Amino acid sequence: MAPPPASLWALSFFLALLVTLFVAATLRLLSILPHVRFQPKPLCKQPPVATRILIILGSGGHTHEMFYLLRDLDTSKYTHRTYVVSSGDAFSAQRAVEFEQALEQRETVKFESKEPESRNPDVFLNGTGIEKQQHAVRTPHLGPENYNIAIVPRARKIHQSLFTTPFTSLHTLLSSFPVLLSSPPLLPDQLPQTPYEAAARDLPDLVITNGPATAVILVLASLILKFFNIRGAQSRGKMKSVYVESFARVKTLSLSGRLLVRVVDRFLVQWEELEGKAGRAEYCGILV
Amino acid sequence: MEVNLATGGKSIAKACFVTTGATAPFEALIESVLHPSSIEALQNAGYTHLLVQYGAAKKLFDDRAKIARQSLLEHPLKTEHLEIGGFDFSLDGLKEQFQLVQCSNGVVISHAGSGSILAALRYQVPLIVVPNTLLLDNHQDELANAMAKSNYLLRGDVKNLAPAILEAENFKQKMAQFPPITSGKHRETKSFAGIMDEMLGFVE
Repeated sequence: MAPPPASLWALSFFLALLVTLFVAATLRLLSILPHVRFQPKPLCKQPPVATRILIILGSGGHTHEMFYLLRDLDTSKYTHRTYVVSSGDAFSAQRAVEFEQALEQRETVKFESKEPESRNPDVFLNGTGIEKQQHAVRTPHLGPENYNIAIVPRARKIHQSLFTTPFTSLHTLLSSFPVLLSSPPLLPDQLPQTPYEAAARDLPDLVITNGPATAVILVLASLILKFFNIRGAQSRGKMKSVYVESFARVKTLSLSGRLLVRVVDRFLVQWEELEGKAGRAEYCGILV
Repeated sequence: MEVNLATGGKSIAKACFVTTGATAPFEALIESVLHPSSIEALQNAGYTHLLVQYGAAKKLFDDRAKIARQSLLEHPLKTEHLEIGGFDFSLDGLKEQFQLVQCSNGVVISHAGSGSILAALRYQVPLIVVPNTLLLDNHQDELANAMAKSNYLLRGDVKNLAPAILEAENFKQKMAQFPPITSGKHRETKSFAGIMDEMLGFVE
């Protein structure tokens, strides 16, 4: 029997390589995808001093609901905010600026209404000083240096043909990586000076979305970063994701919701009938 | 004849505010609220002002409002006069109108868009939501029913608004607090801020 031609060897080698890659990729995906239910971290772990959160805004309704969700945002814990808007969505960008201004205003009112002697709280009182001090370091982080608005190209324009959608979506995906990797520095080529600036220049700790099309692509981009553990995305536990299904969804999940339900770390629904969808949806009551 | 909001505060004893959606106004709701049966219900419940945000449907509103005003003149009830006014859009939201309803113990009648529902409920006013039954594959009806079931609002029927207008009188007593209370001993749900803290390990 004649030995098989070289091309056959090449083919079988190639097939074996593909199968190995496929198995490896599947195992990796299984390890990065969240488990069935979110397990809160053990209490002993110290929460981070500075954090960056990524907030994905979408067309009118999604943006409205997002700012209702974020109404009690504590800027002393969430020290840097990145708002992601689609190109051409001036409304959402405007709302983000207004939201930040309202946060600042709220803090001013709070400060002025305090008694002068209590304005500097948690000074060392007695023996419990050290423990108190750790909480006392947290101060509000407000103003334009503590947030940024990132613009990504729209994945699909209204009336765009389905044929070109994959290409524009790919464009959106590629534009998502720099947005996830860092917020722009305050001064060009300047290294971060404080832990807060370092957090702002790092991967986000938390990605918050409520379902615009852009969100699906950004979450996909965050998965790719976790898959290859770029900048320690996976090993440092960065980019935890939370999806909040729209308040208007009572009985069925939205398309974005169905796409993301198995992928995000926490999937929250606001109506009881949606509880346990895909074995993962958590019912939290009305959050908006 | 526009309702003058700037000076209206003093003379408006009880206001009904109707919002129909800005981009695609819910025309059937405009017709329904200006129908003689609705006007009569409003008068019986002691309303003095009816204010309609009609969006792009100016012509329809003007026609129907004219007919309604005429019949009010021809058949005056013994109750107070009902003033009918309208406007198309408001650039800075509908805050002023909701506040007007709030301080005059009135009612808001709205299309079933989730944005309008959320905006109106922040003012703790009785809200009648009227789903647009002509829209296909729309979740308005589901949302309105679910919200009504939890006593956050009343569901109105576009074919006959009068029962809902009268029901709104007693609704204020049993109206549920919105948004639900998320802290303290009357805590009903988790807050989103609490969930964020949980995820990053900020524990009180």
